[in-house]
Amino acid sequence: MSKKQNKLEALNLDAYYGDFHALKGINIAMEEKAVTAFIGPSGCGKSTFLRTFNRMNDYIDGFRVEGQILLDGKDIYQKEVRVDELRKEVGMVFQKPNPFPKSIFENVVYGLKIQGIKKKSVLEEAAEQSLRNAALWEEVKDKLDKSALALSGGQQQRLCIARALAISPSVLLMDEPASALDPISTAKIEELIYELKNDYTIVIVTHNMQQAGRVSDYTAFFYMGELVEFNKTKTMFTSPKDERTQNYITGRFG
Amino acid sequence: MTNSDINRLKDKAFQVFGVFCTFIGLVVLGIFLIDIIIEGVQRLNWDFLVNLPSRRASRAGILTAWVGTLWILVLTTIIAFPLGVAAGVYLEEYGKKNKMANFLEINIANLAGVPSIIYGLLGLEIFVRQMRLGGSLLAGALTLSLLILPIIIVTTREAIKAVPRSIRDGSFALGASKWQTVWHQVLPASFGGILTGIILALSRAVGEAAPLIVIGALAYVPFTPSTPLDEFTVLPIQIFNWTSRPQEAFLTNAAAAIIVLLVITFLLNGIAVYLRNKQQRKVRW
Amino acid sequence: MPHIDIELERLKTKLLEMWDLVEYQLQAGREAMMTADAELAKQVIKRDRKVNQFDVKIDRMCENFFALFTPVAVDLRLVLAVLKINANLERIGDTAEGIARFAQKLDEPLDQELLETTKVVPMYEAALAMFTDCRIAFKNNDPVLAKEVIKSDKVLNKIYRKSDSIVTKYMQKNPEKIGDALALLSIIKKLERVGDQVTNIAEEVIFYREAKVIKHRSDKKKKKSSGKDKGKEV
Repeated sequence: MSKKQNKLEALNLDAYYGDFHALKGINIAMEEKAVTAFIGPSGCGKSTFLRTFNRMNDYIDGFRVEGQILLDGKDIYQKEVRVDELRKEVGMVFQKPNPFPKSIFENVVYGLKIQGIKKKSVLEEAAEQSLRNAALWEEVKDKLDKSALALSGGQQQRLCIARALAISPSVLLMDEPASALDPISTAKIEELIYELKNDYTIVIVTHNMQQAGRVSDYTAFFYMGELVEFNKTKTMFTSPKDERTQNYITGRFG
Repeated sequence: MTNSDINRLKDKAFQVFGVFCTFIGLVVLGIFLIDIIIEGVQRLNWDFLVNLPSRRASRAGILTAWVGTLWILVLTTIIAFPLGVAAGVYLEEYGKKNKMANFLEINIANLAGVPSIIYGLLGLEIFVRQMRLGGSLLAGALTLSLLILPIIIVTTREAIKAVPRSIRDGSFALGASKWQTVWHQVLPASFGGILTGIILALSRAVGEAAPLIVIGALAYVPFTPSTPLDEFTVLPIQIFNWTSRPQEAFLTNAAAAIIVLLVITFLLNGIAVYLRNKQQRKVRW
Repeated sequence: MPHIDIELERLKTKLLEMWDLVEYQLQAGREAMMTADAELAKQVIKRDRKVNQFDVKIDRMCENFFALFTPVAVDLRLVLAVLKINANLERIGDTAEGIARFAQKLDEPLDQELLETTKVVPMYEAALAMFTDCRIAFKNNDPVLAKEVIKSDKVLNKIYRKSDSIVTKYMQKNPEKIGDALALLSIIKKLERVGDQVTNIAEEVIFYREAKVIKHRSDKKKKKSSGKDKGKEV
């Protein structure tokens, strides 16, 4: 088997909220079509780091980064990079399901519509494909024109995943995608992640250690803005190198 | 008596006091309404609505007044709606959160509290004299627009603020620009709130007499205005005019006109409440 | 299929592969013993390294599975069972290697009379049958078959109990073949151990399917509760 390419990389990345040094000299390389989990206690910078990959932090006043974030080897913080183009390539799913207060169909095709795609047949095909990929099609195919807010939490989250898939990104960022869901919905999302990694590079932030174990190929442990340890999830969960990692994953922290 | 008994008594006492206070307002308002209705209702008929004003109370009607009010309403909406919403969107979505923004925010809040007569004086100087609009509908609408702009801006901002951050994040994450996010997500989601604010602001504008008197709206207009540059009168001015007459019959006319004015404002408020409820049902985050 | 099931299936497949290998080792060991084929015996001994590799690999897989999936209930019992079955298979593999070592030292095939009187061939057959049945029981999640396997251990024990006196008699009669006889006695002992280990494996299969612990029960109780006789006591 040939070695997979590095999809996302961070080189000497520092990030600041005003005076607060949120990320300190992060170096990491994430493999293509694999799931990488970010774990660590609250406030360790893992979400901030996740959001640098699609520059969601740009809207936060006083936020700045130093160093490089490479997507397919290209620095996404260069001036000539257009944020909307970047986000077509790097999709994101949030902690709380956040469907738009529109119909299911409108939710899925939103990303395409704002790109100026208007042809109904194209939109319909994309909607079906994305909903199928998000394992939601069977449940919603008869009510595409119904409000997305009428779906259950788990369905809403899968809708949000479908919405992200519709603009065919190559990377999916997931910020605790199952933390607001019940166990059954969580299991569905995890299965979905497992399926999706055949086609997408996935980075997931999670507070749930078991979840990181179940879904990820690689795990990165963050603590106080530093990347403490990054390794195969198997290795990380059976024989972590760093004492802090060991304490965290065994629940003996602090 | 134990401590908890005393507390319970205090609790009860405050409840009674609260009910009393609530009722004072309602009772006064009720008495006023009943009084007006008793006095004015027999004067209300079709003729009253379609007659021109007259020096004889029994032949006087409010046609010019309510047509003027309608004109003012429409013109004010056309002027104040886009300005106010645009300003609100800018301040909430685009403006950087710095000292300048704070300064603007405080001053807009202050403007909402400035007495309406001051706006009248402002309108008199700028619109009537500098822009030579005279005592026209346009001058009146512009003046009232100034009066309600702060209200619209503040309510627009509140409505926009109520749209959760997650909706914006979702839109941005799909590659939408700021404008696309505002246009496709924020405005539709906050539209009910914005509309409510505008209608409430308009229902305030409808009742204003002072600023319009200052800019020179007339009490007696023997024709209905047909262009924005015509002279005009409005219901509150008509009412003010009638109540200042010595004849008893004109007071009855005033009461009837008040009923019409109240119906218009209640109607506007009713629409506002309806829209707000509809919005709340539709969008639940 | 859910992710966890895929991983469990991989674990089971790996274990069954090891099972096949050990079965082959046992068969080859018998062949070497019967024919005194030193070359074949050498191969068996060499191949035991592969069995050990399987042992390490499956241990590692189980460790990862515990760490990544934190299994509960039937999943937990399966992985625990796999872990223990793996250990037993490894030791059966060692036994096959041990038999091969004896076979390697034989100069000529064992005396037919000795083979017949000790019933070592039927014993070997019985042990192999137990071993393959147990594999089927595990593969098909069949606790009933596993209980049958446990019962059939009795045959092995019977042959084993009689073997001492038979071999003693034989040695008295044929003092020049004491070496061969002792070797055969060791093989019989080893086969008896194989029977015990297969019994352990069968117990794990029952534990995994029915969540019942049946090892270390006294015979009486066993008869009462499950009507099964293990006959492990010697």
